[in-house]
Amino acid sequence: MKKTIKLIAGIALSCFVMGIAGADVSSLRGGNDLANAAEKTKKAKIEKVSGGIARTWAEQPPMIPHDVDKYQISIKNNGCLKCHSAATYEKEKSPKVGDSHFLTREDKALEKVSSRRWFCDQCHATQKGLTPLVENTFETVGRSD
Amino acid sequence: MNKSSKLLLVGGALGVIFWGGFNTAMEATNTETFCISCHEMEENVYLEYQDTIHYSNRTGVRATCPDCHVPKEWIHKMVRKIKASNELYHKALGTIDTPEKFEAKRMKLAQNVWKTMKETDSRECRNCHSFEYMDFEKQEERSADRHDEAIENRDPENEETHGDGETCIDCHKGIAHRLPEGYDPAEDDS
Amino acid sequence: MSMNRREFIKTNAIAAAAATAGVTIPTVTLAKDGMDKDGIRWDKAACRFCGTGCSVLIGTKGGKVVATQGDPDAPVNKGLNCIKGYFLSKIMYGKDRLTKPLLRKTNGKYDKNGEFEEISWDEAFKTMAEKWVAARKKGPKGVGMFGSGQWTIWEGYAAQKLLKAGFRSNSLEPNARHCMASAVGSFMRTFGIDEPMGCYDDLEHADAFVLWGSNMSEMHPILWSRLTDTRLTKKDSEVHVLSTFKHRSCDLADNELIFTPNTDLAIANYIANHIIQTKAYDQAFIDKNVNFKKTPTDIGYGLRASHPLEKKKTGKGGKLSGITFDEYAKSVAPYTLEHASEISGVPKTRLKKLAELYANPNKKVTSFWTMGMNQHTRGVWMNSLVYNIHLMMGKISEPGNSPFSLTGQPSACGTAREVGTFTHRLPADYVVKKDAHCKFAEKIWKLPAGTIPRANGKTDGADQTDISGKPMGKTMIHAVAMHRALNDGKMNCFWVMCNNNLQAAANFNEESLPGWRNPDNFITVSDPYPTISAMGADMILPTSMWVEKEGAYGNSERRTQFWRQQTKGPGESKSDLWQVMEFAKYVKTDDVWDATLLAAAPEYKGKTLYDVLYANGQVDKFPAQQITDPEGNVYGNDEMDDCGYYVQKGLFEEYRRFQFEGPKKGHEMAAFEDYHASRGIRWPVIDGKETLWRYREGYDALVPKGAGVKFYGKPDGKANIITAPYEPPPESPDKEYDLWLSTGRVLEHWHSASMTRRVPELYKAMPDAVIYMHPADAKKRKLRRGKYAKVVSRRGEIMARVETRGRNKPPQGLIFVPWFDAGRLINKVTLDATDPLSKETDYKKCAVKVVKA
Repeated sequence: MKKTIKLIAGIALSCFVMGIAGADVSSLRGGNDLANAAEKTKKAKIEKVSGGIARTWAEQPPMIPHDVDKYQISIKNNGCLKCHSAATYEKEKSPKVGDSHFLTREDKALEKVSSRRWFCDQCHATQKGLTPLVENTFETVGRSD
Repeated sequence: MNKSSKLLLVGGALGVIFWGGFNTAMEATNTETFCISCHEMEENVYLEYQDTIHYSNRTGVRATCPDCHVPKEWIHKMVRKIKASNELYHKALGTIDTPEKFEAKRMKLAQNVWKTMKETDSRECRNCHSFEYMDFEKQEERSADRHDEAIENRDPENEETHGDGETCIDCHKGIAHRLPEGYDPAEDDS
Repeated sequence: MSMNRREFIKTNAIAAAAATAGVTIPTVTLAKDGMDKDGIRWDKAACRFCGTGCSVLIGTKGGKVVATQGDPDAPVNKGLNCIKGYFLSKIMYGKDRLTKPLLRKTNGKYDKNGEFEEISWDEAFKTMAEKWVAARKKGPKGVGMFGSGQWTIWEGYAAQKLLKAGFRSNSLEPNARHCMASAVGSFMRTFGIDEPMGCYDDLEHADAFVLWGSNMSEMHPILWSRLTDTRLTKKDSEVHVLSTFKHRSCDLADNELIFTPNTDLAIANYIANHIIQTKAYDQAFIDKNVNFKKTPTDIGYGLRASHPLEKKKTGKGGKLSGITFDEYAKSVAPYTLEHASEISGVPKTRLKKLAELYANPNKKVTSFWTMGMNQHTRGVWMNSLVYNIHLMMGKISEPGNSPFSLTGQPSACGTAREVGTFTHRLPADYVVKKDAHCKFAEKIWKLPAGTIPRANGKTDGADQTDISGKPMGKTMIHAVAMHRALNDGKMNCFWVMCNNNLQAAANFNEESLPGWRNPDNFITVSDPYPTISAMGADMILPTSMWVEKEGAYGNSERRTQFWRQQTKGPGESKSDLWQVMEFAKYVKTDDVWDATLLAAAPEYKGKTLYDVLYANGQVDKFPAQQITDPEGNVYGNDEMDDCGYYVQKGLFEEYRRFQFEGPKKGHEMAAFEDYHASRGIRWPVIDGKETLWRYREGYDALVPKGAGVKFYGKPDGKANIITAPYEPPPESPDKEYDLWLSTGRVLEHWHSASMTRRVPELYKAMPDAVIYMHPADAKKRKLRRGKYAKVVSRRGEIMARVETRGRNKPPQGLIFVPWFDAGRLINKVTLDATDPLSKETDYKKCAVKVVKA
């Protein structure tokens, strides 16, 4: 009898240990061991979204919903302004560069996009059609604007 | 065979040889290899062109320099070749023999090309591209809309031409080569 | 946080802009009275990422961050952020946040090869304390802590006390060792005091910018936006970019100089030679303010002593000896234009253009550099070679004329450097090499003399006794040596906090991983997320990050910025500060101090390290209080709740005493409250005023009247011009390993991307690391863009896709692979060679081959 109790207790204990063993923790390598070679990942195209990719909060810079391969930004030109500048956006039926972009560092209003915002790709990026590695629980809250 | 017919035969043969030689020479200048044998081309426009879709893309169909810059029809081709003699002159002068000099002249050079394309209704683009065969399902919404609009406005005389005078190059500048400094799309009223 | 004035200006400016553009627009909703109409509370904080130190506004609702935006009132960024900075709102919300301490166990007991199981904080620290006390008995290097330039100032300060005074061990290093140790080394050698003399205002004042191994466009985007603004609006302004490959910063370059790796040494010497040959130098400035020095050469590459290259070296260390101007001129004379062009591969016209810019007395030049120059086996030399140019021309310490070393981490300056969380440092530029400095620290910390281990283990000429009863011996150990010591089983306990060193350190296969998994060693990692380091550890401690605690960072321009705690960390996570101080409660002085030391301070016998270090009547001096902003919003402070006093304030005010009570001047900071009330203040703060340009009368209050320029970090007030030659790198491409490999960062991800790759938008913008290479190099190896290839070195290999048309365009013979990607660890390939002077790793050059995968 004593033996049986001990045995049951032993099983219960080991079950308990098993139950809590192996806390679910893995890095962005997924299950791939640190010492192993890299794994191939899925290839994905740039997402093309008509009407643009919705912001997740009001002040977020919008992501680019189209390919940008053919547009360059250099000391000479800004390919994005071909469609998004104040002078061209209506004709091109494109969203206009944000209003904040017309202000200098000293808050002086300009007619053209301020050169401090010249390199659009410092804030705006295209999106590959991939599922995030890890879910993000950031919540978009309702805003009055 | 009489004398005159002999003469005609010889003349004809010479003519064929001359013509053949001329044509061979001209076609030899009509290859990308020839174009980029000048370092002005190789180090500037050819280099940046390699980053574009006209050089490398999904299907491996590609345009070479003459596909876009030399007309296919004989008479237009001859006109272009005669104009090219001016390029030889500047090559000799070294007008654009460094990247810095090239950049300084890029606006003028680009404008020349744009002007020709405008005048020819983007003829060389149309060697490969045609409204007729565009699949709007595969185009981005905005591009499809613009092309649709162009077709709507097309010239009844010529189905491929934009009715309001707009042509491929009006929208598609700077797609195979970098845009020149100072080019402002807002001031481009074409 | 009153923003009414600002809001007024902003709204009007936008309305004006709208009128100009002829459209009506909605005005930007801005924070007002700290709480907007949607019930979102807005408060400022310093950005979590790079050393630029942008300020952001944090929008909080329901105990969670729901929005972030650029802070319009911040002088650094004036409302702008980069893409990472904008997405700060999401970095705390990856679903896999760690919420409980985890320990590897089998059958309920710690087992190095066991699976991670949840444990209590009490069990965590009990386990750790047992291991640490045992390992410490082996000697001061038996234990080690690897901290961070991302620690808040007080976290670094608390850790400094715990290791150096509590555990009596100098085995404390920050990841900043990998980042800007070369810059520090050169600052100390050249000026005798750390950190740049200029400030970001130079970005508007300069006529020309020279980037020496810095891709600011991606790594310091907001500074780049200010630089771009100047370049595109100021007539005749110029941008020169030096790099080993073409990158985004070259898009703005008037002069692009792509050089063969390591030949920046020759280029800098050529410029100096040009200045001398053309007699362009400022003779008066040199006579008054400069000494000429030379440094030992052929000093090796910081590899293991057994490495053939180390056996071959003929020189050692960095002891400077004086030379004359003529001797200096002679030393740079071989670096002619022809020679520099030949060795570097840069066309002569471009080199000349750069030299003439520096030599032009009418052009104000600001030079920027980051990892290209610091992660360099001759990094300290190279930093100095650029100072040489500026010093010869007198182009220094005035608006627009600035040699400017940028940092990569948000508080590499504020914490790692100023608090001194390096093996050799103490706060405010004091060092453990000097007995007097240690005594000064002991006095401030109310500790018996001889507590802190001296570099050589001697105080007043006598051996310091260790807990083992043996002499302390040599006590310093730098970051790369720590990994080697773990590998060799000499260091047995290692605590990695607020960084991801297993991913970041070079030579993963041969040094890092075997060291971490060595059965003799116990590795603890504190992190908010399960990083590569966490997976390589034996114990993981869940960390409350960034605005889940009250914090302070110091940026690249000497600006110190504070923030309040905005939200609570998830689950049982705790801040690094709490973890360091709580752990101190589990170790007693008797466990780690020897009897003679205890006899000198009998009141400390039987006390915990917490009692001695923190409950010392100074750190615990300020009672708990309610934290509010000027609008009356109330904020939490978890550490205050746990300790019962205002911990952060106590630590900061004790730290400040180092700046005011010792012989060294020039590090003075303002009082605790001043920082909460401002958008940061640049030290030295003298009579309540910040300093923009140091060492020059009129700008720097520490320079006496009539002195003009005074480099007061040196006893004679003169800076050093230090000559050093070109020397080859330790490993160059050969027949088999025929390509150079350079590693680095990308715009969208920050460092190892443990935060940014958990933000969906940033992940989708730059999902995986790729191999940037020249199309001709790809073609030669039958590789195609988009296909997988292997990068192989003598040490390891990784696999990634080939990119021949990306933002980085290497010349033939060089590839660039970013290191952010946990999935493909490029540090399996890199070489752990360091600058022998700064001990900083060279991540920018080693030899590899690329083959089909």
